Amino acid sequence: MASNRFEKLSNAGEKVSYPGLTIISGLIALLVASPLLWIVLRALQVNPTRAGELVFSARTAGILLTSLGLMVSVTVLSVAIGLPLAILTTRTNLPFRRFWTIVAALPLVIPSYIGAFAFVSAFGPYGEVSSLLGVPMPHVRGFWGAVLVITLYTYPYVFLTARAALLSMDASLVDAARTLNADRFEAFRRVTFPQIRPAIAAGALLTALYAISDFGTPAFMHVEVFTSAIYWEFGALNVEYAALLSLQLLAVTGIVLLIEANVGRDEDASGGTPSGSQIRLGRWKWPAMGTVAGIGILTLAVPIAIFGVWIVRGIGAEASTYAFEWEYALNSVYLAGLAAVIACTFAIPVGYLSSQSESILARLFERVTYVGFAVPGIVIGLALVFFGANYVPFIYREGVVLLVFAYVVRFLPQAVGSTRTSVLQVDDRLPEAARTLNAGRLETFRRVTLPLIAPGVVAGGVLVFLTTMKELPATLMLQPIGMETLVTLIWSAHGTAHYRYAALPALILVVISGLSMLVLLRQEDV
Amino acid sequence: MQRHDLSGRGTTINRRRFLGAGSAAVGTLAVAGCLDGLGGGDEDPFDSYEPQEAAAESSAVSWDDLGDLEGELTIYSARTQDQIDPLFEKLEDEYDDFTIKRDYDDEGDQLASILEEGENSPADVFYTQSSGELARLKDEGLARELPEDVIDAVDDNYRDSDGQWTGASGRVRAVQYNTDHFDGDDLPDDIFAYAEDERFRDVISTRPNSGTFHSFIVAMMEEEGEDATREWVRAMVEDQNATLYSSGSDQAEAVASGEQEIALGNQYYAGRIVDDDPDAPLDVTFTSNDPGCLFNVSGVAILEGADKPNLAAEFTRHIIAEQGQDFFVDVNGEYPVVDGVEYVGELPTLDEIDPLEFDLNKLGDVEPAIDLLREEGMTV
Repeated sequence: MASNRFEKLSNAGEKVSYPGLTIISGLIALLVASPLLWIVLRALQVNPTRAGELVFSARTAGILLTSLGLMVSVTVLSVAIGLPLAILTTRTNLPFRRFWTIVAALPLVIPSYIGAFAFVSAFGPYGEVSSLLGVPMPHVRGFWGAVLVITLYTYPYVFLTARAALLSMDASLVDAARTLNADRFEAFRRVTFPQIRPAIAAGALLTALYAISDFGTPAFMHVEVFTSAIYWEFGALNVEYAALLSLQLLAVTGIVLLIEANVGRDEDASGGTPSGSQIRLGRWKWPAMGTVAGIGILTLAVPIAIFGVWIVRGIGAEASTYAFEWEYALNSVYLAGLAAVIACTFAIPVGYLSSQSESILARLFERVTYVGFAVPGIVIGLALVFFGANYVPFIYREGVVLLVFAYVVRFLPQAVGSTRTSVLQVDDRLPEAARTLNAGRLETFRRVTLPLIAPGVVAGGVLVFLTTMKELPATLMLQPIGMETLVTLIWSAHGTAHYRYAALPALILVVISGLSMLVLLRQEDV
Repeated sequence: MQRHDLSGRGTTINRRRFLGAGSAAVGTLAVAGCLDGLGGGDEDPFDSYEPQEAAAESSAVSWDDLGDLEGELTIYSARTQDQIDPLFEKLEDEYDDFTIKRDYDDEGDQLASILEEGENSPADVFYTQSSGELARLKDEGLARELPEDVIDAVDDNYRDSDGQWTGASGRVRAVQYNTDHFDGDDLPDDIFAYAEDERFRDVISTRPNSGTFHSFIVAMMEEEGEDATREWVRAMVEDQNATLYSSGSDQAEAVASGEQEIALGNQYYAGRIVDDDPDAPLDVTFTSNDPGCLFNVSGVAILEGADKPNLAAEFTRHIIAEQGQDFFVDVNGEYPVVDGVEYVGELPTLDEIDPLEFDLNKLGDVEPAIDLLREEGMTV
């Protein structure tokens, strides 16, 4: 609320410091950033002259340009899709809103590389769609193929964050603007947009970092970006050069994080009634529904249909070694659940501190937790292989500790972002009231703030759960020897052209992740 | 070159027989394993690196004559699960007290892991697709010399001259082609022609991220010199506009669907597709006595830091014994590395295809090949 924000500004002068919390946050940031040391260690092993040649080569410049192009295109397109969908499902009288909300959010549960498998099988002059309709279809591949696939499976980050902000923002402000004769567009631009801008920026940041760290899709679409080049160098056993490329990727990430920190400056979007007046779609109802349905068909129906075809037609030779067992699904859920719980535990102090404190350190620690999200899983994986085998051999590849840690390093920012936003939305007067009633800071947090931010924390946990379910490279490197999960089975079976065995675990992955997505959306509606 | 039927119908029956015993669960939730790691777990059940019973010999011995396998062996496998898991299961069925902890990953990732782990690798055995990685392992000082009888048993061409790794089965690089577009007899038997012939422009593909492809480039540089190799790579990328795949199965799939017409790669990807659909318009042919027809081995090394070198040695004897070799021939359509095992599959025998004679240890030095590929832009 406006008054609320004003209070906050006037309070900014009296600095509240959180020494204990700062230390805890710092330790968490240090912990999750520690695998990056390995990158520096390895990159330093490259002979400086050679390092110079490699870094300043035409090829590296090309990789940088392509990577940036991919990241920017995916981010812009994701906002272009995610934001209108968020408005459509929160502010309009779109029929069956709940259903369309689910459709719009679900693509996030499908790993983009699985989307890429499906799109390549479905489209192109020899694809399934062509043989079904008898019309030649264009290929989905190359740079724009990768942009398309990654966008379609990551725009939900923007959709979800923008939607949450729209739901919690005080919509009566828009009505006030309208009574002051602002037209709809101007009301959006001057009232709504500034309030949801940080949320859009937060979603766009996750999209951008995902896009630049996604490996499967660019490699599959034959596009040379940082991740595919890093993977290629790993495959060619040039670990040092891969580390050098990773450092460059980190530099890009640092810049992205700085940009977001400026665009996404906090506006206190907390607020009263989410009601406010709806936009009446009128005859635009049908095109609107058609658009959401179209995106749903492309992102959800196409892969599910392709997997169905693989199973029903029994495509690929028989190989009982790939037979599905429920244990694999349980392993996936167990790992993803652990990662989600630990990420939430880490996210609460970091997210809380960065939303409450004005200190540079608080901001820095929060930013540091994002870095792992931009680094390809194989880099984090190999860093922990090195650390695990040489310093903690008794847990290395025996239990799940290192693997879960790798997941937390990779996916923590999703929980931090979501926690932070929800703390910002807590009405400051409630904890203040508790303090005046002589509750200590910790007790206030436990009895007042925590229950209020719980939905946000859980939402972050669900995102961590979803992405962990999909993660592949670190899983392959760090899983206890002999432990199989849904994605490792998909990877093995698809990689050897045993498609029918890849399809079932892929469908189960989508169903389980889909159910967790429902939890996320249900919570928001309350 | 003649056309060869890839379908290998006999193999399906064999495979079923192997698997009839049921597909044992590969995955176990190894949370309880922590204590093992602390205390070093169970000991290597064997006393010495010597043969436990019969020694491996150059004319294959039977599993019955070898020592029993017992205990738990940890294997990092860069061979794919479908190709090697049935053999592991067969061994586990044969010996009640024997289990293999298997870890599957790509060859590059697997070797990168071992290099980071160094002496502390949990693996006893590294089992991989191509001798290039084995040679690299040796160069890093992480492989252990194999027992003398194993070294003596395997043909010199198929093992390390210092005895630090051995081939387990052989495979040959091939040219996969779409039979609607080409007749095998009309295809060149010279790998250089594939970079020059205009018929292949825009319809030829390769897969530069695989270990066997790297080996192929190393061999070409060794045999034909760096300039000729660079020209081949350049011409493939620029003149022929070759499509670069990151997966061998997608590459073969594209030829089978008609989207591509020629694929340079390993022949077994095509084999699988034809196995599934005998009508698929897909076949293989071979170049003659050049790097395009490089005979390479999949093979094993026992790690320097292995906890159970003796069990690993006895396992290796089983691989090169008669039943092990038969498995590769029957189930995978690969070539044996030990005399006395006949190749009976549908592919031509080694005498018929004229592969390049080549010291496989030279495949360990991939760096110049990788630099060349990077410089010419053949990277995916």
